[in-house]
Amino acid sequence: MEVRSQIAMVFHLDKCIGCHTCSIACKNIWTDRKGAEYMWWNNVETKPGTGFPTEWENQEKYGGGWQRTPGGDLQLKSTDKRRVVTNIFHHPHQPSMDDYYEPWTYDYQNLFNAPEGQDQPTAIPISMVTGEYIDIKAGPNWDDDLSGSPVYAENDPNLAGLTEQQRSQLSAIERLVFFYFPRICNHCLNPACVAACPSGALYKRGEDGIVLLDQTRCRGWRSCISACPYKKVYYNWSTGKSEKCILCFPRVETGQAPACFHSCVGRIRYLGVLLYDASRLEEAAKSNPEDLVEAQRSLILDPHDPAVIEAARKSGVDDAVIDAAQRSPVYQFVKVWKLALPPHIEYRTMPMLFYVPPMAPVMAQRNGGRVDGISQDFFHDIDDARVPMQFLANLFGAGHEAPVRYALRKQKAVRWYRRMLTVGDVSQETASRMLREADCSPEEADAIYQLTSLCTVDDRYVIPPAHREEAIAMLEDPMEHKQGAGFGFIARPARGE
Amino acid sequence: MNAPFGRWWASALAAALALSVPGAARAQDATAYFKQNCVSCHTIGGGRLTGPDLKDVTVRRDHDWLLRYMPNPKALIDAGDPIAVQLFQEARGVLMPSLPGLTPDMADALISLMESESKLEKSQFVGVQVSDRPFTAQDIERGRAIMRGDIAQLAGGPPCLSCHTVRGVGALGGGRLGPDLTKVYERLQGRKGLSAWLSAPATTTMQSVFRDTPLDAEEILPVVAYLEEAARQGGEDSGFGRVTFLLLGLGGAVVLLAGMDGAWRKRFRAVRGPLVEEAGFGRAHTRGGIR
Repeated sequence: MEVRSQIAMVFHLDKCIGCHTCSIACKNIWTDRKGAEYMWWNNVETKPGTGFPTEWENQEKYGGGWQRTPGGDLQLKSTDKRRVVTNIFHHPHQPSMDDYYEPWTYDYQNLFNAPEGQDQPTAIPISMVTGEYIDIKAGPNWDDDLSGSPVYAENDPNLAGLTEQQRSQLSAIERLVFFYFPRICNHCLNPACVAACPSGALYKRGEDGIVLLDQTRCRGWRSCISACPYKKVYYNWSTGKSEKCILCFPRVETGQAPACFHSCVGRIRYLGVLLYDASRLEEAAKSNPEDLVEAQRSLILDPHDPAVIEAARKSGVDDAVIDAAQRSPVYQFVKVWKLALPPHIEYRTMPMLFYVPPMAPVMAQRNGGRVDGISQDFFHDIDDARVPMQFLANLFGAGHEAPVRYALRKQKAVRWYRRMLTVGDVSQETASRMLREADCSPEEADAIYQLTSLCTVDDRYVIPPAHREEAIAMLEDPMEHKQGAGFGFIARPARGE
Repeated sequence: MNAPFGRWWASALAAALALSVPGAARAQDATAYFKQNCVSCHTIGGGRLTGPDLKDVTVRRDHDWLLRYMPNPKALIDAGDPIAVQLFQEARGVLMPSLPGLTPDMADALISLMESESKLEKSQFVGVQVSDRPFTAQDIERGRAIMRGDIAQLAGGPPCLSCHTVRGVGALGGGRLGPDLTKVYERLQGRKGLSAWLSAPATTTMQSVFRDTPLDAEEILPVVAYLEEAARQGGEDSGFGRVTFLLLGLGGAVVLLAGMDGAWRKRFRAVRGPLVEEAGFGRAHTRGGIR
């Protein structure tokens, strides 16, 4: 057992209202610069939809993530040692600006300077790359709230495996449905971007697992961009270097939640420490598709287990971090309650951002004159929901419904349990039966309710003290420059040289 | 002046300022100079090449006239000197070049050399003795091979084709750095002149290439045979090789690009654009925006 700590995240999709405040908070802090205009380290997508960049989940085209060889080994889809050389001048899976969008502003002067004409003058869109007037053809959130659209929603790669009827219902008027899917870098345990970088510029920080890109070592090969299946590394066309989400590490190191977490209106975001077993990581990443979710979950260790605590101390995890891991909301959602699931675990990068799948609107049954929501099978509406189970399974279960169904049933049971307590139109017998069937106890239901609905800032963000000094000491000797000049001289000053 | 540095410095100064420095090495210098610069056109007692046989030239010509003529023949011809003009006509218009390093002092040394060599029974500058036997088909074939570099030269010199072209030598022709050699057999007045030239080429470029790797006498005959055949076939290089070369290059580029397009046909082109096109919204999107 080799214990490491990882700052992990949970996004509760049932609470996301799609307001994009997170995206704006991030943009204002980090990517409001030349060359970074098109970067959205945080973005919110509408599902079904094609997202940003367009159809990023279609790895047939983008070639991101890992694949298992017939021999059972993992290899990158986009590159390997041989192809690094053969594709050195042309990377075959590189998205173009058109797959993102051409960033633009408006020529507001035209509102004042336009010559007299028949119509009101408009602010003409102007490209922030070329400075020319452009026709806007796409934007960072072009299919926002556009589910049912024949261009974008119908090309969502997660629709694979759905029946014709399910597909047509998803775009049928008065039946179409969507939910929001906010995304940031997943700070994966097995990051494809780090593996693909020929310059060694990308690295996973030892003490908290944040994946960072060293701007001084980056040579702009852009292998990370095609390797990352989530398309969360971006190329800055002005500096010639790639950039990515840094999980606001300057904020995290000072005990604050990252900007997108801090600003979240729906309070959907949770941040906490997980302890995981790094020695079993490779084995877990090579699991069969149906076992991937459980294999990743099995990597996460119980921070209350004395053996785990001892092993964590041995590998240099600070006691304060272990304490934070014990109070981690992420540990509860992912490991204890099994409510939160990794996105597209089939890419085998072992993402450390987990999603609580959304409860979709119910297809109500009309009984005579009234709408009747209750049937004998209390969980019927999970299968009858407007969002087909297979769609969610493609997103959060590598195509397998079992983990998604489990999470939704438990959420459903907690709702009915709370309805019994607060509204009182459900019998205690019914509520208990539902909890039992959903593998949930009343105590657990209370805890889920508490952390979902009544959570405070301190409940949602359990950030350990940074201990940068210990992290640095792991990599270099703090005494290295002792007796040095202290003003940038690495070599000790000596006479006669 | 005994130090090597001093000697070098002195000779450099002498050459630069054309000072008269009488020395023991003078005759030796003249011999080397004659070998390097004169024997491609002249013999001493070996008969006429491009230029006249220089045996007894000191008897035929005045010493002062020789001193005036040798460093700059063109000036004398331009000035209408009757002997110079006659020599020019005898050489069928081939002008004796003004040679580098032919200082008045060197000219004087050369005249002394020619005088003493003329008195010998057989001068060392009697010229290459090329066999008079008629050229055979094998000679021509072998000459062509040497020319093209199919057969390596004995001394390891570069094949003629790398700088020169000859009509009919190959589809792509030869190099364009040196002159076309199709008519060189006629220009250098036949077998003897051409052979002499090939044994010791007089131009700076050829010298620098062939000084250390001269053509063997056994190689000169076939090359001459081939060039004689080329001159007999007649006609200058038509430029056909140039066109072929261009067309081959263009064709090759097209084939290469087509091959690359085929090899990477599954490459990433675009995602969003085709998506919109397929859904039939392409035209609406490109109709032009609000101005």
